[in-house]
Amino acid sequence: MSNPKKILVYVDGTEESVIASQYAICLASFFGAELFALYVVNTRAIEELLKAKIFLKDEQVEYEHDMESDAQKYLNHVDKLATKKGLTVSTQSRKGNIHKEIIDAIKNHDIDLLVLGELSRIKSRRDELYDEREHAMRSVPCSVLIVKDEDKVWDMYDSLA
Amino acid sequence: MALIDLVTENIVKVPLKSRNKPDVLRELVQVLKDAGQIEDFDAVLKALQGREDKGSTGLGEGIAVPHCKTSAVSTLKLAIGIAPDGVDFDSPDGKPAKLLFLMVASPNLSGPHVEALAEIAELAQSKTFCSKLICANNAKEIVGLLKDE
Repeated sequence: MSNPKKILVYVDGTEESVIASQYAICLASFFGAELFALYVVNTRAIEELLKAKIFLKDEQVEYEHDMESDAQKYLNHVDKLATKKGLTVSTQSRKGNIHKEIIDAIKNHDIDLLVLGELSRIKSRRDELYDEREHAMRSVPCSVLIVKDEDKVWDMYDSLA
Repeated sequence: MALIDLVTENIVKVPLKSRNKPDVLRELVQVLKDAGQIEDFDAVLKALQGREDKGSTGLGEGIAVPHCKTSAVSTLKLAIGIAPDGVDFDSPDGKPAKLLFLMVASPNLSGPHVEALAEIAELAQSKTFCSKLICANNAKEIVGLLKDE
């Protein structure tokens, strides 16, 4: 078995995804792997809201703009976390359907390990069907690592030289 | 954050007592206030009314999704109300709203806000499921139905 050479962490602004980023930084450092961070602006959901008449056209534009700003903010945060540990991370923001964009990024960059934040506990049948990260976890062509235990990850990240 | 993470019995009101749109908005914001979800009642109500002034959030088929962004909240807030007799919500099909999902979000939570609204949009497509929600007798039944869906 070979060590992962290209690691992708999916960032969505949640605390779980930030913890996952810290873990991915530790892994990249340990294995000497190339690190990528991806944020997907869920334009598919925005389009659905316009179609369902929940959003007005103005709202669609406004929310998309807000989400693009969020993407940049969270990717910059991951970049700072990596830089602090002497690592470089290639950040990318995409638009579209989350799980499809994750799959596409994995194929484009020849990623061999996807790192995701802890998934929510399943509380309804709908969760099993519509959670985009879970969908990605099941669909991607590479291995997937789900990061849990925030305290241990913090310790690991802090102790990284 | 999944929609179901926001659903608890104390943010559901069955039945709503109000008979018109402004009062229904006020009643649902009061649900959030009573549940300890918001502090600034007036700021939240003003933001919701501001959004309604731009265009009705009545979707048709008896469903309305009043929503807004406001810095009066720091996370996502949801209230659900059932109005069995229906309330005029200026919906495109002219039908009164019986099932209302009110959502308020912090301006810096656009992503989770959009995803939660998209889940509501998905639910709204199932007429059978929405009928079951409208026929529910109490908050416990609503929560149970949403968890089973």
